[in-house]
Amino acid sequence: MIGRLLLVVLVVLVAPLLGALLNGADRILTARMQGRIGPPVLQPFYDLLKLFRKEPLVLNRIQIGYVYLHLAFMLMTIVLITLGQDMLLALFTHAFSTLSLVIGGMSVRSPYSRIGSQRKIMQMLAYEPVLILLVVGIYLRTGSFMAGAVAHLDAPLITSLPLVFLAFLIALEIKLEKSPFDVATSHHAHQELVKGITLEYAGPYLGVIELTHFYETFFLLALVAAFFVTHVWLGVLVALAVYGAAILVDNVCARMRTTWMVRYMWTVPMALAVCNIIWLYLQPHAGR
Amino acid sequence: MQAITGACLMLTPANYVLALIGVPLVGGALAYVLPWRGARTVVVCLTALATALLGVLAVVAGPFSVTCGAWSDPAAFALELLLIGVIVAFAWEARAWLIVLLTLLQLGLCLTEQFSAGAHAPTAPTFVLDALSSILVIIVCVIGALILVYATGYMREHAAHAPRTTAGDRRFFLVLVGFLGVMNGLVLANNLRWLAVFWESTTLCSFLLIGHEGTAEARANALRALLINAFGGVALSLAALLAAHRGGITSLDGIMSAQALAPMALLCIAAMTKSAQFPFQSWLLGAMVAPTPVSALLHSATMVKAGSYLILRLAPAFAGTRLLDVVALAGGFTFAVAAALAVSQSNAKRVLAYSTISNLGLIVACAGIATPLAYAAAIMILCYHAASKGLLFLCVGAIEQKIGSRDIEDMGSLLYIMPLTTIITLTGMLTMLMPPFGMLMSKLLAIEAAIEAPFVLLLVIVGSALTVFFWAKWIGRMQTVSYHPHYPRETMPFSMSSVLVMLCALVAGGGVASILVYRTLIEPLALHTFAHASAHTIAALRAAGNLLSWPVFVFPLLAALVWLWTIARFNPAHVRLPYLAGENYEEKELSYAFLSIKDQPAVAWTTSLYFKHTLSEARITPWANLIAGLLVLSLLGVLGLL
Repeated sequence: MIGRLLLVVLVVLVAPLLGALLNGADRILTARMQGRIGPPVLQPFYDLLKLFRKEPLVLNRIQIGYVYLHLAFMLMTIVLITLGQDMLLALFTHAFSTLSLVIGGMSVRSPYSRIGSQRKIMQMLAYEPVLILLVVGIYLRTGSFMAGAVAHLDAPLITSLPLVFLAFLIALEIKLEKSPFDVATSHHAHQELVKGITLEYAGPYLGVIELTHFYETFFLLALVAAFFVTHVWLGVLVALAVYGAAILVDNVCARMRTTWMVRYMWTVPMALAVCNIIWLYLQPHAGR
Repeated sequence: MQAITGACLMLTPANYVLALIGVPLVGGALAYVLPWRGARTVVVCLTALATALLGVLAVVAGPFSVTCGAWSDPAAFALELLLIGVIVAFAWEARAWLIVLLTLLQLGLCLTEQFSAGAHAPTAPTFVLDALSSILVIIVCVIGALILVYATGYMREHAAHAPRTTAGDRRFFLVLVGFLGVMNGLVLANNLRWLAVFWESTTLCSFLLIGHEGTAEARANALRALLINAFGGVALSLAALLAAHRGGITSLDGIMSAQALAPMALLCIAAMTKSAQFPFQSWLLGAMVAPTPVSALLHSATMVKAGSYLILRLAPAFAGTRLLDVVALAGGFTFAVAAALAVSQSNAKRVLAYSTISNLGLIVACAGIATPLAYAAAIMILCYHAASKGLLFLCVGAIEQKIGSRDIEDMGSLLYIMPLTTIITLTGMLTMLMPPFGMLMSKLLAIEAAIEAPFVLLLVIVGSALTVFFWAKWIGRMQTVSYHPHYPRETMPFSMSSVLVMLCALVAGGGVASILVYRTLIEPLALHTFAHASAHTIAALRAAGNLLSWPVFVFPLLAALVWLWTIARFNPAHVRLPYLAGENYEEKELSYAFLSIKDQPAVAWTTSLYFKHTLSEARITPWANLIAGLLVLSLLGVLGLL
């Protein structure tokens, strides 16, 4: 009990640090790809500290609550997965974390913020089925919805879920807010100056959103690593490689329309995932 | 008070059944007789209180079964003839020949059954109150009673600006109050004949209430409801006839123990008409012309649940049959398509209607999967949907009376105009999709259960994603608000505001406790119903409830507390205007306009996404009806096994 509690505290403390470092590396890598030098790797920390020292400017009092819920549900997701709890519940709490941001962005009378929120919710519509299929795939492999069951496998998940993994990588590109699916929230110069969903947040509230983003980056890459779980270090290397590839794709792609995104996600990655799920159903003892 | 409680505890099961059916009917009749509005309000509220109390006491006293004497069969037959006569009279008056034809066909089936099968003494109990019917009785009596109280306040306001063709309030309350009794009878009935009596009665209630306003639209929609439900009635009568010919089965129990597939298939079709599953959904959408308490009571919280209840009751006996696979597929299809169509609607009541159809589809799908876990998921959705959706309809009714529109795009700034109602509505909507509230938890259970049926699983996944989409849009629009230092106090009749607050507390409290409810109530019920299920399915049932419940929810709770703390020490100097890609137009008050061409102020405005062309009803409905119609037709395939 104490051990698990310590683990939770450790993850909650270390995850944002690693997430921030990853974001710092992203800033440098992107800058080099664009022929710039880029900020120092610790820049995300500096940004965060600066945000928390600024005035808490808002448009109304409603929008504040959703920032806190955004962080709270993200923390909850991470704790659920760390404790090896139900993956579907974790998926739903993760979805609600994103949804909080969407609702927060819609709660102010600002057209740009609303447009950004609508793009974000279209993103959710696009990738959510793939994530549910991911959980279903893991269930069919382990016979349990508990995340803890993945640790007891004798062969890594990637061996039985290769196509689901591919579909998940595409969904990851959306979740990391990268082109061709991105929303207007990134730090990079190749994007427009008016931000979308986070436009009307400032100071510490924007800081909380940034912090949540650090958690999310860590969480998503940990999921990538979980596909290789009997070989942890291989998993970490693959996760880093995937992150690098995501940044590369971000820099070689233009942003596409939301309707294209939904059509694409509901056909190509969805078909990949469904195909993989069918393989698992065809196996004689799937999920039993 | 104690004397009344004591007296109630001494009631015999037969008296309970009589009271559950009789008290609302008598109350309704009394409301009809009394010419004064004040007295009517008192009678309706007292009847509501009595019914709610009776419902709870009956469930506490249960489970029980009541076997009526030899008089019950002829009595039910006579009532059925009477109801058929009334329906034919209404249809004749409206020149709706198809309904007349269908109802006469039903009459023929009833007569054939009565006089060909011969007199057989019914041995099965006439009325049964078991765990499943207890749940329905509680929903009908408690949520129904709250809606009745709300209706007294709502109709007072409604009468002021209703069209001149409106039938009187007296008839309205006669039918609305009496409906509770009829619905109680429906969920308690085990005898097929009594089931048919109450089934037809709910159809009649629905017809009368949809047509309440008497406009051309209301009358047309009422007739549509009557037509589709008459079709269901024919299926029900045919099921009874087939069951009687197959070894003299006269009860639902009998159909289950004999595993009679043909009556089961027909009962499923009847249930699908009542639960407005595709392709029978059009009547429920039309029913939204009725006053809001009707939509809340009949067309979301209780009556439409009768269909899914019937499938839920029968399905465990047919677990593993191909028939149920088709039922599950039809339910899953309705879930996904109705969710997609809900996305394209901006009329709040239509969104709620499609969402109701969608959730009923999910219940039917889970009932069709027929594993203990799926059964548990179906019951969870049944309960939580009834409470949340009842609340949401009442809220939309209150909003419509205030702002005169039911368009979602008109609901911006509502937080300032009517803060209490808006907060309650937002709570109601959040309980539909936020962890740990009951609806989301039951969706989780439904997905876990649907692993057994891969095609249904895919439909459930697609439907879930769409569901989140349309709720989020609405929540976002509804809480869009400018900065106001102080919010006004909202004025609303006490009967309405008190009901909204009570129902909201019920929805939120019950929703938070959903994992507890699942473990202590639903899981044992599913285990009891599926006593002979395989070890694998029982393990799945137990694993699903094995969620870490309260410790992790400390995070959202903390978030809420921090929010309150932030608001408490909020500094108005920190309020700013939105960025509008132009100079903000400065006035004395906060303005949300910007300086446009020639320094004229212009308001920037964006609407929500509806995809009215991609997901238009006109495009999708015919194809959806075709596919669902084929599924229903394939259900009839089992008739070959006579």
